[in-house]
Amino acid sequence: MAIPDTSHYCLLTTAYSLTMLENFSFRTIVEYLPLFGQGLVTTVWLSLLSFAGALAVGIVLAAMNLQRGWLFRVPAKAYIDAVRATPLLAQLYFLYFGLPRLGIILPELVVGILALSLNSGAYVAEIIRAGILSIPRGQVEAGVASGMTYVQRMRLVILPQAFKVTIPPLLGQAIVLVKDSALLSLIAVAELTRAGQLLASDRFMPAEGFVTIAAFYLLLYYGLKGLAALSGRWLGLAGART
Amino acid sequence: MTSNRSKNGAGMIEFRGVNKWFGALNVLKDITLSVEPREVVVVCGPSGSGKSTLIRCINGLETIRDGDLVVDGQRLGDPATNMTRLRTEIGFVFQSFNLYPHKTALENVTLAPIHVRKIPRAEAEKAGRELLAKVGLADKVNAYPAQLSGGQQQRVAIARCLGMRPKIMLFDEPTSALDPEMISEVLDVMVAVAEEGMTMMVVTHEMGFARKVAQRVVFMDAGAIVESGTPEEFFSHPKTDRSRAFLSKILRH
Repeated sequence: MAIPDTSHYCLLTTAYSLTMLENFSFRTIVEYLPLFGQGLVTTVWLSLLSFAGALAVGIVLAAMNLQRGWLFRVPAKAYIDAVRATPLLAQLYFLYFGLPRLGIILPELVVGILALSLNSGAYVAEIIRAGILSIPRGQVEAGVASGMTYVQRMRLVILPQAFKVTIPPLLGQAIVLVKDSALLSLIAVAELTRAGQLLASDRFMPAEGFVTIAAFYLLLYYGLKGLAALSGRWLGLAGART
Repeated sequence: MTSNRSKNGAGMIEFRGVNKWFGALNVLKDITLSVEPREVVVVCGPSGSGKSTLIRCINGLETIRDGDLVVDGQRLGDPATNMTRLRTEIGFVFQSFNLYPHKTALENVTLAPIHVRKIPRAEAEKAGRELLAKVGLADKVNAYPAQLSGGQQQRVAIARCLGMRPKIMLFDEPTSALDPEMISEVLDVMVAVAEEGMTMMVVTHEMGFARKVAQRVVFMDAGAIVESGTPEEFFSHPKTDRSRAFLSKILRH
C-alpha cells in the first residue's frame, strides 16, 4: 500500500490557521448539542455501571488473589495477567463478535458494560490488593486478638482503611475507564465519542465533532478530580495514620 | 484429661514443656510455667529472649511446635478449642498500640464488644465511656488516634481490651514505645487493672511496676526461663549470672 503524501499539508498549514476560526462552525456544535448531551449522559451512566461492575470484579479477584492456597490465587492471577496483556479493543471484539458465535447474544450496551467491567476489574483488583497489603500487620493482629473472625476483620478493620488508601488510584482508574468507554463507539453504542463521529460523518466536520467531545471528556475528568479532592477531605481525619 | 485438671482450679495459663522454632531458631525452649487466676506475672529479659513470643502464644498470635499450653481450661491446638471464642477472654496490649486509626477512641473501645460479643450498641457505648473515663480520657471519647499522644493511645488500647471484659490481660512491652513522661500514666492504669484482680502477664522492664503489683518475675534468656521469683527476690538477690548481668544493665541509669 502506498503511503499517502502529506507534504502539501505543511504548505497549507499557515493558510489554514488563518482561516481556521472562520471555518470552525460553532453553530453546528450548538445545533448538535442535544446529541452531545445524550452521548454525555450515556457515557456517564454506562461508566458508572461499568465502574461498579469493575469494583465488584476487583474485590472478588483481590480476595482470591490474597488467599494462601493456590486454588483461588492461580486463576485470579491468570485472569489479571490475561486482561492486562491484551488490548481492550481485542477484548471488546471478542465479547461483541465472539460471544454470539458461542450462542450468547447480548445487546451492544450490555456487551460494552461487561467488557469495561471485566477489563477495569483486573486493574481494580491490583489496586485493592495493594491497598489491603499496605495496612500494617498490627491492625490484623489487633482484630485477631479481640476475637474477630476473618470476615469481621476485613469488614471492620482492613477494608475501611484500605478503601481510603485506594481512593486516589481508584479514581485514576475511573478516569481511564471513562476514556476507554470511547471504544464502545466502535460497537455502535450511542455514547459521547459516537456523537462526535456522527457530526464528523453527517456534516463532514471532524474538527468540531472531536473538539467538542474532548471538551466534554475534560469536563468529566475535572468532575472526577473534584470528587477525589472532596472524598479526601471528607475522609481526612478519620484515617490519619499515627 | 489435662484440660480437666486445669478447669478444677489450677493455672489460668499453663505452659508444659512448650517449644517453638522460627526456622532453625529455638525461640521457646521447654517452657513450663503456671499463672494462677488473679496473679500478675512480669516477664523480663534481654531483647530476643523470647518474652514477646511467649505471651503471643497464649492468644494464638503464634503457634507452638510441641508441649501443652492450656488457657482458661482450654488446650490450644485442640480441635475442640474455639480459638476465636477463647481470644475474647484474653486482652492483648501491643507495644505499638495498634489502635484502629479510622475509628474514634470510643469506637475503638466498642467495636469488638458490639460485633464480637454482640452487646447492644447503647450498652457498649455506655460501658466504653466509663472505661475511657477510668483510664482518664473522658474528654477524648471522640478523638481519633492521630489526635492523641502515645500515652493516651496506649490507655485507649487498654480500655479497648477491658471493654471485652477479659479474664486475662497480656501486655507486650506496653511502655517501650512511649516518651518517658508518658510512661507513668500508662503504668498507673495497669496498676489499677492489676489491683482489681485481673490475671496479667506483662512483658516489661519497668521495675517499679513489678515491685508494686507483680507476685512473680520471670526472667528469660535465649528462649528459656532462667529464673523466677518474687520481685523482691529477683531484683535484690538475682540467682544467676545472666540475670545479674541483665539487671546491672537496666539498673545502671
